[in-house]
Amino acid sequence: MELVVQSVAKHFGGVAALDDVSLRASQGAITALIGPNGAGKTTLFNAMTGFAKADKGTIHFGDVRLDRLTPWQVARHGVIRTFQTPVGFPSLTVLENMFAAGAPHAAASVASVLRFRAMRAEARTSADRAKQLLRELQLWDLRDRYVDELSTGDRKLLEFARQLMMHPRVLLLDEPAAGVAPSYVDRLAEVIRSLRTERGISCVVIDHNLAFIMQIADHIHVLDRGRLIASGTPKEIADNADVMRIYVGSSAVAS
Amino acid sequence: MTSVVFWVGVLTLVGFYGILAMILNMEGGWGGMWDLGTAGLLAVASYFFVIVTLDDAMLGTRFAPGWPLWLAWPASAVFTGIVAFLVSLPALRLRREYFLITTFAFAEIIRQLIVVQDDLTRGVIGFSGLDRPFDDVVTGRDYNYVLLGLVAIGVVVVFLITRVVARSSFGLLLRAARDNEALALSLGRKVNRMRRETFVLAGVLIGAVAPLYLWYIRAVTPQLFAPAVTFTAWSALVLGGLGSIAGPILGAFLLIVFTEAVGLVDWSPDQANLATALEPFLVGMLLIVVLRVRPQGLLGERGAFRRATRRDRSDDATEPPANDALPAPAMSTPRSG
Repeated sequence: MELVVQSVAKHFGGVAALDDVSLRASQGAITALIGPNGAGKTTLFNAMTGFAKADKGTIHFGDVRLDRLTPWQVARHGVIRTFQTPVGFPSLTVLENMFAAGAPHAAASVASVLRFRAMRAEARTSADRAKQLLRELQLWDLRDRYVDELSTGDRKLLEFARQLMMHPRVLLLDEPAAGVAPSYVDRLAEVIRSLRTERGISCVVIDHNLAFIMQIADHIHVLDRGRLIASGTPKEIADNADVMRIYVGSSAVAS
Repeated sequence: MTSVVFWVGVLTLVGFYGILAMILNMEGGWGGMWDLGTAGLLAVASYFFVIVTLDDAMLGTRFAPGWPLWLAWPASAVFTGIVAFLVSLPALRLRREYFLITTFAFAEIIRQLIVVQDDLTRGVIGFSGLDRPFDDVVTGRDYNYVLLGLVAIGVVVVFLITRVVARSSFGLLLRAARDNEALALSLGRKVNRMRRETFVLAGVLIGAVAPLYLWYIRAVTPQLFAPAVTFTAWSALVLGGLGSIAGPILGAFLLIVFTEAVGLVDWSPDQANLATALEPFLVGMLLIVVLRVRPQGLLGERGAFRRATRRDRSDDATEPPANDALPAPAMSTPRSG
């Protein structure tokens, strides 16, 4: 299913964080969202996932209108996001983080503790899946570590593993490569590509690491000060003189 | 100087504050809801229980339905749960210190209402000489043992309830939402509903244990529900270890026994004022010393749950016991919850 953003605007006071933005992320594709700091990329993620209400415009995922839903409702439609800072659930272990994502929604009611037999069966299934995902992402040896003891790279990987427990249909990844050691970036790129090829999950990726984006994206949208200034394949964007001047120019200053 | 009966009374108080601390631990330790309204809900439960069990023999109120114990006790739990639900409607729109202030204000409002509504509550006079179960069978000092037994049962029941909650998937989600609410929401969790249910469950439990407190004190007056009740329970919890499973009981034991022991010292009458002032000072010192050495409290959340996860995996014999050989990294900053 396609994720379609239509004429979305969002103002914070007098500042237009998003100004009439329309874009799509096709099914099974890796769509990148780039732009300088303050361009509105994360605001767009927030609007897509119910964390911020758009002032106008619509956001659809297939037939579902996401911009009217709360964050937990968006998640239940299979649109799963990650956060810029991979805090995770810091005082839970890696395995507990996985269970927090894998537990059935019925467990979010205190009444569920009375149905411990059913809950235990569910927990076994989710434990198998957690084990498999942690193995795939080479996090299994860290399963009893608390998240606040992990390196940033491992936390980013855990972020993937945890969100994959939710069986996402679309993953919205907010700066997956930020703060990650260079050796991890290739591993991340590989993981993201495998999400699409092996699981058919569409991805929308925000990142400042252009080399990383060019490496993984099928399609790139460029935002600047709340406006969509360009869209195209990585090659088209790389050849777009305006984009390179605005984006690389300010990003080079920032870093 | 001290009698067995005195220490039986102290243990009863330990049990009672242990129960309150366990309830607060579920809300505050695992749920991240810093609730300062405990005394308020306790007052609601106590007055409800006393008023519905009044018979006409009691003076000065217009409402004396004279419910029997078997009806009044569960009704008090249900009623307090309903009040907790109503309090949660505004309070759970807020987080952290804002939630704390709101629940604290609620407790104070309740206390003022009790003073003002004197045709129902007898105002500042309150009720005294309350009837207690088995009062005619066991008399005098021996009744203290009955009370201790009842409170001990209460401790065990509340301990088991909170432990089951803690080890369930619900408890895990509750702790997850406390750690990172946005992330829990993005995993499709109804965080508000989980917190509301926990808050209401706390209310029900407070309603269920309130009669024990009444039979211990044998009176109900507004001063009994001063913020000191809430603060004592919180101190016990912080001392024993916020988020741990057995910490609240341990904390209540140390705190109450320490406080009562300070009170046992024989002071000359002219030093009585000093002695009264010294007690909170020494309790404060105890808290500072313990938290200086162990910021997470005597028992921590990590120890309590690490054991639980290990045991659940013990059937997984093909796996080597991972990371046991690794030294745990020292915590660089104290985690205060």
